[in-house]
Amino acid sequence: MNHLLNQIYNRLLSGSYRSIRTKLLFCFLIVTIIPLLSLGALSYYQSAKVINSQFGKYGENAVAQLEQQTSSYLNRMNQTTETIYSYLLDPARVDLGDQVPTTYKDIMAKNDFEALLKALKSDRTIGIYIITRSGYYYGENNLDVSKLSLIPAWQAMQNSYSGKHWLGFYPQNHGMNDTITNGISMLGLAVPVNSPYGALQGSKILIEENAEDLLHMFQLFENDTKAHLQIDDPQGRVIYETAAAFHSKESDIVWNKTIAVNGWSIEARLPATSFYHSSGIIRSNTIIVAIASCLLAFVLAYLFSSRFTARIRRLKDAMQKVSFGKLHTRTLVESKDELSSLDTSFNSMVSGIQSLIGEVERSERLKKDAELKAFHYQINPHLLFNTLNSIQWKARLQGAEDIRQMLYHLTMVLEGNLDISHELIPIERELRMIEHFLKIQEIRYGAMFEYKLECDEQLKRYLIPRMTLQPLFENIFFHGFEDGKGVIHLTVRESGNHLLLTLSDNGAGIPAEKLRLLLLPNMTKRKGRGGLGVQNADQKFKLHFGLQYGLTVQSIQGEGTTIIIEWPKKEENLNGNNQDN
Amino acid sequence: MKKKISLIVLTTALTMTMLSACMGNNESANGTTTQPESGNGSAEVKTLRFATWDTGDALKIEQDIAKKFEANHPGTKVQVEAYADGFDQKLAAGFGAANPPDVMYMWDFPTYHQSLQPLNSYADGDKDLNKDDFYSGLFNYATIDENLYGIPAGFTTRVVYYNKKMFDDAKIPYPKDGWTWDDFQSISKQLTDKAKKQYGFGVRADNDTYDLQGFVWSNGGSYISDDGKTINGFMNSNETADTIQMFGDMVKNGSAVLAGGKGQQSGEDIFKGGKIAMWESGIWPLESFRQAGIDVGTVEMPAFPGKPVKGVVAESALSIAKDSENKDLAWEFIKYYVSNEAIKMRVADLPVRESVVKELKKDQDPLYKPYYTMLERSDNTPAFLLNSKWNEVNRQLSAAVEAVVHGSNAQDVLNQAVKESERYLK
Repeated sequence: MNHLLNQIYNRLLSGSYRSIRTKLLFCFLIVTIIPLLSLGALSYYQSAKVINSQFGKYGENAVAQLEQQTSSYLNRMNQTTETIYSYLLDPARVDLGDQVPTTYKDIMAKNDFEALLKALKSDRTIGIYIITRSGYYYGENNLDVSKLSLIPAWQAMQNSYSGKHWLGFYPQNHGMNDTITNGISMLGLAVPVNSPYGALQGSKILIEENAEDLLHMFQLFENDTKAHLQIDDPQGRVIYETAAAFHSKESDIVWNKTIAVNGWSIEARLPATSFYHSSGIIRSNTIIVAIASCLLAFVLAYLFSSRFTARIRRLKDAMQKVSFGKLHTRTLVESKDELSSLDTSFNSMVSGIQSLIGEVERSERLKKDAELKAFHYQINPHLLFNTLNSIQWKARLQGAEDIRQMLYHLTMVLEGNLDISHELIPIERELRMIEHFLKIQEIRYGAMFEYKLECDEQLKRYLIPRMTLQPLFENIFFHGFEDGKGVIHLTVRESGNHLLLTLSDNGAGIPAEKLRLLLLPNMTKRKGRGGLGVQNADQKFKLHFGLQYGLTVQSIQGEGTTIIIEWPKKEENLNGNNQDN
Repeated sequence: MKKKISLIVLTTALTMTMLSACMGNNESANGTTTQPESGNGSAEVKTLRFATWDTGDALKIEQDIAKKFEANHPGTKVQVEAYADGFDQKLAAGFGAANPPDVMYMWDFPTYHQSLQPLNSYADGDKDLNKDDFYSGLFNYATIDENLYGIPAGFTTRVVYYNKKMFDDAKIPYPKDGWTWDDFQSISKQLTDKAKKQYGFGVRADNDTYDLQGFVWSNGGSYISDDGKTINGFMNSNETADTIQMFGDMVKNGSAVLAGGKGQQSGEDIFKGGKIAMWESGIWPLESFRQAGIDVGTVEMPAFPGKPVKGVVAESALSIAKDSENKDLAWEFIKYYVSNEAIKMRVADLPVRESVVKELKKDQDPLYKPYYTMLERSDNTPAFLLNSKWNEVNRQLSAAVEAVVHGSNAQDVLNQAVKESERYLK
């Protein structure tokens, strides 16, 4: 048991789920123990109350019965003495004398008197005697007058000539053949004859009754109730007392009765502990049951909670493993409760994480590949430029001035395109690149188009995303103009701290349905050319300056297209770098 | 959650059962457990009530006999009712209430015979009983007007016990049959030593007049005329008065001590104490004398000069109540009670059957022989059988005898007693 408790204690306090398990256990115990204890307490108090009141009544009745029985003894003895007394008061009894009767007449009187005494005897009567002053007595010839002083109360009343003397209980030890020790218990009553009339004045009537049955009843009562019985006469003399030592206390339960005929008081005292003994038994039983039930509840609660927390712990262990990177970890799903759904979600979450991480891994790998590729591609433009410069140089040597011109402009355009070191460049640079682009177009188509630029010099230092205008110009040449014929009008103005760029042409314009789709983001994946430049440009502005900025396209089919771009002013930093890289 | 609920239900149920179990325990501990009555066979068991006046050892023997009878008669229960001192009162009450015992000890047939079942038809010709084996004359005591009302169960005659050691110490020869009252008185005088509180003889303060009849008869006197009608001239005759006066005189002259009165030891106790040399009684105290270590001898009663010694028989018989419902069974019980087997068990009584006496050789035993000699001398009819009012007369006679042993003159008090008794005989 101790071992088990220790184990439970250790298991409770060790481990990190101590608190949940303890709480659970605690909850269980409260839920079970409170009704248990209240039920136990209720039943204890109810039954104890009933038993105590019953026992109290029983004791009272028992004492009343003792009083009745004792009374019946005493009453009969009392009546017997009164009968004898009234017999003696009859003037016809004057022949009864104090001395041994010797004459015929006296003996006749004695015989008559003794016949009466014999008739007055009952089963329980041991003796009825009238003891005269001389020591001669009437009654059966078995009394030894000289031994009467063995009766404890006899001597006390020796010189009393009135009243009734209840001698109490004493052993039969004053007969002719009695020894001092062998006597059965008797109850005695002595009444002095003190009437001035009648016979035998100064004699004492002595009645003795067998009290064994009565005492046996007292003992039964004592054994039954464990009470201390005491009978006192009105003078305070103890008539009877339970043999066992007893110390009366304030808390004792006391049953009292007084015998009417001689004022003896019967008092039964029961120590409170004895009185509440039976209810104490109920209490201890209730407590034992309560403790047993609590233990049972505790064990059941412990088993259940440990089962419960074991599942939580398993989940927690699984989580820990996952946190260490063991993503293949899964928990076992048992039954169908909240915990199992937790397990299920955990499992699906971990598998989700696992697949996600796989994806990230893959994309990271791809990215690295791309970076490697980009590194490769970065080398190529130099080769391209060197080659172009070589061709250009060759063209000059061979005098092909127009080819050299074209190559020069192409180189310039490509240089602008390929210089990815800055994403934002001054408007001036973008415009210069447009100039080169237009030169190429001019060489290609001849002087067929017209290009008007309105831009204040101080505006040219503000930044614009790289390669935004060129694709729009390309669009004009490829979609708007036919054979490079037309007018292009580019205006840059400032509007507050914003810049407003307007690019308009008088080309073919954009069909309405195409225009509608032009700026929608999902259109990037459409097939074929056209519109990609517009959208890219729009995206670049939005990326660099915010979603509220970007392109607005207005177009009327057959009359031309106007693109308006609005973005905030932003100057190049002093150190020559811009933040967006 | 389901589990939790079931746990609570379980524990609650457990507690309830345990609590109720312990309530049940208390109830059974407090409540008086009534056991089924086991007396369903009692209808078949016949109960025979047997009333006796005996107490002590004699009662024990009677109970043993009853048990043997029960063993021999399955389905019978003999309820021995020991009335002791209250025998007459209780018996009279039983007859009065028509609820008497079935079988009872009886001696006073004149008083009770009307309530008793005549047994002639049972006794005559019953071979088991074998009436002829009984000492002749015993049946006479139980017969009234030719009707037999009781079967003799025990009897005793009266003898003189003497303490051999005291005789030896005083160098007096032991008394022998044929001795006289003069011998008796002189021996008594010689054995008296007042300084030692030792006396030759003890006189009862309270005599049963019945027992004194033997002496009166021996002196040629009687309490009542043979026809049972007259007491004057019999109860107060010289012979009667002289006989009783003799005892009074012995007390007066100090050769005898009064015994059994108020504040006095009984004669048997004094005899056992070695303080009286001679005591007159029936068989009853013999056993206790021997147990007390007294070397006791018995001798037949002394004679008055020139007159034959007469004895008186104290007889006890068994009778069946007229109101008994089990008369046949009662008769069986009586027959068993006077059978050889039961007689041998009853050592306090002299055997009523001659065959038993012969078998045990009691009449050869010097200690027992005087009882049988005295039986032969017991041919007078006791007064109570001669007059049914004798009990009333006896009250006066008893008082007179008591007065005499206390010092009154026998002739005077007997005259007075006769005077007061005669009205009962009219």
